[in-house]
Amino acid sequence: MEALVSRALSKTYRGSRGTVRALDAVDMSIAKGRLFAFLGRNGAGKTTFIKIATALLLPTSGTVELFGVDVVDHAREVREQIAIVPQEGKPFYHLTPREHIVEYLRVRGATGESAKNRAQEVLQGMGLVQYQDIPAMVLSGGLQQRTLVAMVLATEAPFLFLDEPTLGMDPFARRQVWEVIRRAARKGSTVLLTTHYLDEAEQLSEELSVIEGGHVLYQGTAEALKSKVHLEIRLQFEGGFTTQELASYGQVFTEHGRVTLLTTRGRVPELTQRALERKTAINVGPVTLEEAFLTLVGRTIEDEDAEAAP
Amino acid sequence: MSWKTQANAIWRICYFYGFLALRRAPLLFIAIFLTPLSFLFFLYVVAPHSALPFGVVGGILFSALFTGNGMMNDCAYLRLERQLQQVFITSPLRPMSWVLGMALGELAWTIPALALFIFVLSLIVSLSPIAVLGLIGVVLLTWLLATSLGFLISTFFRQLREIWPIGTVVFTSLSVLPPIFYSLAAVPERVRWAAFLAPSTFASQLADRVAGLPVTAVPAIPALSSVPFEVIGMVALTILFTLMAMRLARWREP
Ligand SMILES: Nc1ncnc2c1ncn2[C@@H]1O[C@H](COP(=O)(O)OP(=O)(O)OP(=O)(O)O)[C@@H](O)[C@H]1O
Ligand SMILES: [Mg+2]
Repeated sequence: MEALVSRALSKTYRGSRGTVRALDAVDMSIAKGRLFAFLGRNGAGKTTFIKIATALLLPTSGTVELFGVDVVDHAREVREQIAIVPQEGKPFYHLTPREHIVEYLRVRGATGESAKNRAQEVLQGMGLVQYQDIPAMVLSGGLQQRTLVAMVLATEAPFLFLDEPTLGMDPFARRQVWEVIRRAARKGSTVLLTTHYLDEAEQLSEELSVIEGGHVLYQGTAEALKSKVHLEIRLQFEGGFTTQELASYGQVFTEHGRVTLLTTRGRVPELTQRALERKTAINVGPVTLEEAFLTLVGRTIEDEDAEAAP
Repeated sequence: MSWKTQANAIWRICYFYGFLALRRAPLLFIAIFLTPLSFLFFLYVVAPHSALPFGVVGGILFSALFTGNGMMNDCAYLRLERQLQQVFITSPLRPMSWVLGMALGELAWTIPALALFIFVLSLIVSLSPIAVLGLIGVVLLTWLLATSLGFLISTFFRQLREIWPIGTVVFTSLSVLPPIFYSLAAVPERVRWAAFLAPSTFASQLADRVAGLPVTAVPAIPALSSVPFEVIGMVALTILFTLMAMRLARWREP
């Protein structure tokens, strides 16, 4: 059963400065109960997609269905099934983390007792217990973000939309949030999250899609994406090689002054041999999701540049 | 969600946005009194003392009207700056319940100021319990009208920066220019009808009547200054603004 299906979804923003095609015929489907990551560069169209799917923005054409219900025609039914962390949302100034959770749950129809119990659980899970009675205005930025995410995750709504939920959080907090998200998914929520932390997407998601310039470039698992780019091995050279001579082996880039090559398994023995001859240390490892992402999106950008050039 | 659950949700929003904020921000508490009290002080110094009761009734209506200004600013702020409107309406809560909760929250803020002005009025004119109820009725209609208007305006903004000049223009022209703090008698006879272009004049005439203050006629159009017309006008305008807010509110960006 699909929790979300979009068909030929397009959105064009019209403004005084011209038009922007933010989504271009996006087909996507997310199975019920899935933890799904939505990846893409800044301006790729992720937030636009989420706004349309949560009935906060009208599409220009195409459809989105949530649990089989059309989002444009039946906004009310759809809203009952969802909760959203908007990108760069912020909590109320004057309420404490605990009040945020309790009041939000009560507004959504929970009883006082169950809201309190649930709040306690989530505060614990999100590492907010020691801040639970401090008004948000005096909490740090990351703690405010945690408060907002906590109130939304506490709902365990059938469909959770999380637009960059871990923005500005420290590595410990991010892991706590992941755990709370996983727990919600285990209890049956479908989760769509966007993030620019590719390690987060790799750790957390069961499936992902990559969007660029309003087009879906990929939908599938992180593993399959890595094999799709055909460059499964990362080699880092401690000097001794130039980017030019490595270019024929795969994708080359320089990071922290070190030359990094993404290549196939078959080329590794030859390269190791050459490195040994030159007495250069190399570092071998599997390609990360981040590198696969850079490769996939990088190719698209290069193609576009090539098209635009003549 | 059932009506009972919606009603409870509305009350929760009013509680945490109105009452809790009031308790935690004492400075804002003073700010609410400040403008109407300064007008009153000004009147006390420069005007004959017979003008004072009009000023006190003005304080009541000013407070009720400025819930609209608060509504406009708060709704725009929570939608544009905090994105909390989005968090609340993507839920079983009906969008209109969110608006009503916010509007009640604005009223909650104003209760201390309203109570003070009604108390002061009871000291300088004799107010029967019926008169107090009548005043509360006028205040509630004014609040509904002002917050509907405030919310409606707020939905058209795309940036917070655009808001304060608009708020100042709209709510000052509703509350300071028309005969709110002064009697309609002060307006020259020939242009007296023009005061009724401001919806707040209806509220002011009604409130003056309820408080037992002398009410001025409009010789050019006598019907303007009659109880049925004022009541019908006030109720009709309130319904109009409320319906407009409900119909035109943009829950979804185009
Ligand atoms: N209200 C708007 N009016 C005009 N253009 C817009 C509007 N909102 C977004 N856009 C444009 O639409 C495109 C997609 O924006 P969107 O916010 O969906 O990107 P995103 O993938 O969420 O990016 P980020 O990772 O930076 O959050 C961008 O080119 C953006 O400039
Ligand atoms: Mg975004």
